[in-house]
Amino acid sequence: MRYVIIGNGVAGINAASEIRRADGKAEISIVSYESDHFFSRTALMYAFCGQLSERCIEPYERDYYKKMNFTRVRDRISAVDYSKKTLTLESGGTLAYDRLLIASGSVGRRATYPGSDLDGVGRFVTWDNLEWLKEKSKDARAAVVIGGGLIGIEALEILHLAGIEVTFLVRESHLWPVAFSETESDMVVAHVKEHGCHVLLGEGTDEVVGKNGKVIGLKTDAGKMIECDIALFAIGVQPQTEFLKGSGFELDRFGGIVVDEKLGTGLQDVWAAGDCTSVIWFNGVRRPEQLWYTGRDQGIAAGKNMAASNGMQTAYKRATFYNSAKFFDIEYTTAGYVNFNFDGEHDWYQRETGTNISQRITYLQDGTVIGFNMLGSRWDHGILVRWVDEKRKIGWVLEHLHEAAFDEEFFRKFKVLAPAPVV
Amino acid sequence: MQTGLLSTYLKPLKTRHVGAWTLSSLLIGFFLIFYFTVMLDARLLDLGVGGKPLASLLNSATSALGLSNKWWLYSWLYTLAMVIGGVFFLSKHAKTPYQRWRTITVVMVQIVFVMALPYLMVYFEKPVYNFAMFWPLKHDTFYPGTTKNLPELYMMYSIVGAFFLVPALTFLFGKRWYCSWACGCGGLAETAGDSFRHLSNKSTNAWRFERYSIHLVLLFVIINTILVIIHFKLRAELGASYTTEFPTFSSIAVPLALFYKFMIASLLSGVLGVGLYPLMGSRVWCRFFCPLAALMGIIQKYGRFRITVKDDMCISCGNCSTYCEMGIDVRAYAQKNQSFKRASCVGCGMCEHVCPRGVLKLENKWDFASWGKDPARNVAEI
Repeated sequence: MRYVIIGNGVAGINAASEIRRADGKAEISIVSYESDHFFSRTALMYAFCGQLSERCIEPYERDYYKKMNFTRVRDRISAVDYSKKTLTLESGGTLAYDRLLIASGSVGRRATYPGSDLDGVGRFVTWDNLEWLKEKSKDARAAVVIGGGLIGIEALEILHLAGIEVTFLVRESHLWPVAFSETESDMVVAHVKEHGCHVLLGEGTDEVVGKNGKVIGLKTDAGKMIECDIALFAIGVQPQTEFLKGSGFELDRFGGIVVDEKLGTGLQDVWAAGDCTSVIWFNGVRRPEQLWYTGRDQGIAAGKNMAASNGMQTAYKRATFYNSAKFFDIEYTTAGYVNFNFDGEHDWYQRETGTNISQRITYLQDGTVIGFNMLGSRWDHGILVRWVDEKRKIGWVLEHLHEAAFDEEFFRKFKVLAPAPVV
Repeated sequence: MQTGLLSTYLKPLKTRHVGAWTLSSLLIGFFLIFYFTVMLDARLLDLGVGGKPLASLLNSATSALGLSNKWWLYSWLYTLAMVIGGVFFLSKHAKTPYQRWRTITVVMVQIVFVMALPYLMVYFEKPVYNFAMFWPLKHDTFYPGTTKNLPELYMMYSIVGAFFLVPALTFLFGKRWYCSWACGCGGLAETAGDSFRHLSNKSTNAWRFERYSIHLVLLFVIINTILVIIHFKLRAELGASYTTEFPTFSSIAVPLALFYKFMIASLLSGVLGVGLYPLMGSRVWCRFFCPLAALMGIIQKYGRFRITVKDDMCISCGNCSTYCEMGIDVRAYAQKNQSFKRASCVGCGMCEHVCPRGVLKLENKWDFASWGKDPARNVAEI
């Protein structure tokens, strides 16, 4: 059986490993133009500032491909013939498959403002982006980071640490509205400012201003002109599925490949996994899930299904939502569903005075807890997720909350300070 | 981003460039002069340089500082390096309580047990003894040649320490109570050597080598200790007829002990152990050769200490593995949701400290179900 996997990211490599576990004799090829070795995309920021080397962010030892007997093809796909089951590579060669996985991931969304093609405008999602930013930041004095999400905050941090004066331009009235409340955003913004970054909330981009083809500034939609050499757009990621246009795939409005619950694409012997897919979320909405964790889980599920010889397909089921991040020194854990605006939801919130440690618990009218947003200290999301699944009440959760603390030894003991709500 | 670790890989001194090789050579030279003064002076004499230049260099340095011999100078320099390194470490990582207390403690143990107590002992005219070091790290603890000059109380302490205190504490808290909270070798690694911790080799091959080398040294020191004790016993009982009655044994025991002292205790622990900091990381001795670490490692596998991994939260970034001074590929466990016990782990807590997602946690926990099981091997072999 010949398996071809498009993409050497977390979904692709996990799928390939799953197939290998199920079938020791399978021919497995991994096609990627980005890199020879699987690397942790979430660690690009550490490779940028030298906390890690580029080699450090490869999760496996370099003999992994040899050990697992994967064939690597460094190329892009120019066309796929699904009836003949053949891929055409950009270099001109072809590659035949019996079963195909598309795990081509996503790329940073391109800016469409005037001046977006100037030298100095870029993104920070791929290996190429990393190389570009390393080069650009060598003699840059000022930068603007556009977009208040996770990649935006990370880009802000690394550019700042590289000694560049950075302005954070956020169109929304507060940071990362899908994750933070205004209060939480205030805390993170204050922390970011303490480090010496500028933050502009509620302002968008009007145009990138250039001279001789190079960025010299950015004009906001409030008419403000910020001088800079780099304009880094972190305005979301989009599935990398352009090469599939016109090939019979159903793409959603974000460009994600519509897959069924078994990650099948509807085409015979073709599966898709990771950032490039569009799946149904817990609330019934169909859209891509562009997270490291879901990429991994989808890869594993797709690999299992592809290798299943008896046609037994297992459904990919996204567990209750969780995620994590770190903003400068503030660690962040979320579990369940905060900021999804359920009917009659309330927040329980506390922040210890003088610290950047806060907890927010979202619960429904009857007291059922649906989500946690924890900043500044460590939490076992597994326990928090379980409590959401068990539909625990807010009073019970506050009594037991200390059990989910995951702080280092000698860290001060967690205490509930704010009163429990009456429900 | 982690304060103090930023741009580690952008600094030539930390990435095995010329500066690192130079520093390593200087350190090796320094230790050679200290450890092998007489031997080197003899070599120099062969080469036509007379007058014992190295001995007189050390002598003039010690007497200028008002110290009685070169080992006092050595202790002072060692402690000074630890204090300066410790302050430097705290300036980077003191925000984390575990890192703060561990570093303060290990430096204090050095100051109290290695510096202050010996001065007091001299003052009270008692024999000088390092109470913070145990057999088999102090390989000559039970040699009759050592014990005959020491008070019985010292000996009781050493026996209880090596055979009860060390195993019991290791069982309860992991070997970290010693290796990163008390030990002098570990203390220097954690302070002055901290900037080089990322240079430890993380490959499976290095791990394979380590498992052989460290246990062979342990075996060697045990055999060595027994042989030397028997040797002294026989010599005392048989007197002059000893060498004729046991010709082979009498000719092996002492040279073997000397070989251990030269090869293991001096060359590997001192000269290369510290000398290779800038090239192979700060724990070359502790990881590959220290017999006490080997012994405690075996106990640790059956003890309470482990590193707990939070399920499904690892982003495989590699900070944990990179900053593990013992070369443990922590990420391999973290990305497999595998809590683990590794014999070599000294519990410095750096993996937990640098993890940007709070995935790892050092813990002491009663857990009889996983006793003696070795998940580590499965992980390495996929």
